[in-house]
Amino acid sequence: MPPPELTTVRARALFAPLDEGGRAETVARRLDTAIRLGLLLDGERLPAESHLAVQFGVSTVTLREALATLRRMGLVETRRGRRGGSFVRTPQEPPPARLARPLRLLSLHELRDMGDHRAAVAGAAARLAAERALPGDVAALREHAGRLSGAATLTARRRADARVHIEIAAAAQSPRLTRAEMDLWAEVGDLVWLPVPGDAVAAIASEHAALIDAIAQADPERARQIAEQHVAAETGRLIEFRLGLPETDQPGAGHVGRPEQ
Amino acid sequence: MSGGLSNDGPGRIMTSQDELATRVLAGITSQVGQVLDSVARVAGVTMAAIQAAQRAGRPPRRADLAALRPLVAEVLRRHQGFAAGAGAVLAPDLLADAPRCIEWWWAGQSSADHDPVVAKLEVDLDPESAEFYDYTTTQWYREPQRTGGHAVAGPYVDYICTHEYTFTVSVPVICAGTFAGVAAADILAEQVERIAAPGLSLMDRPAVLASGDGRVIASNTGAILPGVLLARRDADTRLRPVTGRAAAPRGHPDPALPWTLHSHPA
Repeated sequence: MPPPELTTVRARALFAPLDEGGRAETVARRLDTAIRLGLLLDGERLPAESHLAVQFGVSTVTLREALATLRRMGLVETRRGRRGGSFVRTPQEPPPARLARPLRLLSLHELRDMGDHRAAVAGAAARLAAERALPGDVAALREHAGRLSGAATLTARRRADARVHIEIAAAAQSPRLTRAEMDLWAEVGDLVWLPVPGDAVAAIASEHAALIDAIAQADPERARQIAEQHVAAETGRLIEFRLGLPETDQPGAGHVGRPEQ
Repeated sequence: MSGGLSNDGPGRIMTSQDELATRVLAGITSQVGQVLDSVARVAGVTMAAIQAAQRAGRPPRRADLAALRPLVAEVLRRHQGFAAGAGAVLAPDLLADAPRCIEWWWAGQSSADHDPVVAKLEVDLDPESAEFYDYTTTQWYREPQRTGGHAVAGPYVDYICTHEYTFTVSVPVICAGTFAGVAAADILAEQVERIAAPGLSLMDRPAVLASGDGRVIASNTGAILPGVLLARRDADTRLRPVTGRAAAPRGHPDPALPWTLHSHPA
């Protein structure tokens, strides 16, 4: 029996075979996501290339291309020799200035569209959760929601926030909506929390509380409305923040090179 | 599934609706009961491993549980296509070398001519970590701990492990009167529906299989779908329980699965 090749089950979800048209770029993006979400840990050795290729359902050539991209991004390090292989390098939590850089690459159109998608998923999940959640589900939701206030870093806040929305989708009894939330959170990542000053965390936590109250009161329409407004406000903050960023690199702003091709 | 309809000859009304309902429930109970039997074996081997270490005058260690892997592989082979994963989960601080311990395996992708590949589940058990998975708060852990009997938790969206709509059946591991953890197995909700559906489709009126929480597991009508809470649809549908609680799975002293079958009274 071969040893298990992946460290976490959640990582395994990201390694599900790619659909038709899956390419090096998609493989690289999936691995990038897994590393940035902490599903693959710093220093962790990736499975053999041939094995990864099979798991993604791509050729070894395509997989190598993806690994080369990740190497250029500094997310993977390849060592030769008997103890060699490809190893994960987790980036430290980047300073806001660096984190903001990928945001500048997103157009307002993309940000608006991502917000629409997130509102659709979060709204539908909230409505169905209000119809289908049992008291035990609501208790779990409140427990997760309570963790946001104590979260000190951007990443910790994003994790706590994501967990609340993923739990709501689970309470909706929908594996697909749950996966959709997980995918969307993997995509937006810490960006959502970038424009939020520390003293605004409590206000966002109280939006969660109101949303969970509506679910507990089995009020589907109200739950949907609060969830949609919650995401719309988040998207609005992100867009305002994006508009405030300079369009070109400022000298001395810590820029370290062109984005990878 | 055993217990199909009896062939009572042509021209006769063979089966009343209540009898059909009872058979549907008995069929699914028997399947789940067999998984519970296997889980009880896993609990037995876990208990024996812990007690052997204790008799040797030392605290149990992770290595003492080595017998679980081949046993769980056998269990997953036996319930191939029905049980998605199985294993044992130990009470915190029971083992000397692992404050928390999940020994759990998946039935991997399988083809017709191959046994399922068994893959170990790895989750983050460090309470300090952001991704910490606290199994002691799950229903399938808490309920056997509280009652000393088996639990049938779900259906629920298991986004940590199976990523699917899942049941978890579990039995306690009890060593010298002390709760030491649970042995458990995951059953995908779609597999339960697959087994219940043919019988439900034979009924001439709306009928649903529901969990103890009143959540619909399987249904023969588009008006009430799996996942919804029956109580919130009662006003529209007026379904009533037509069976008692399912009979206890054979060989199980515990009372029944907490599932019921609902339909219109005949």
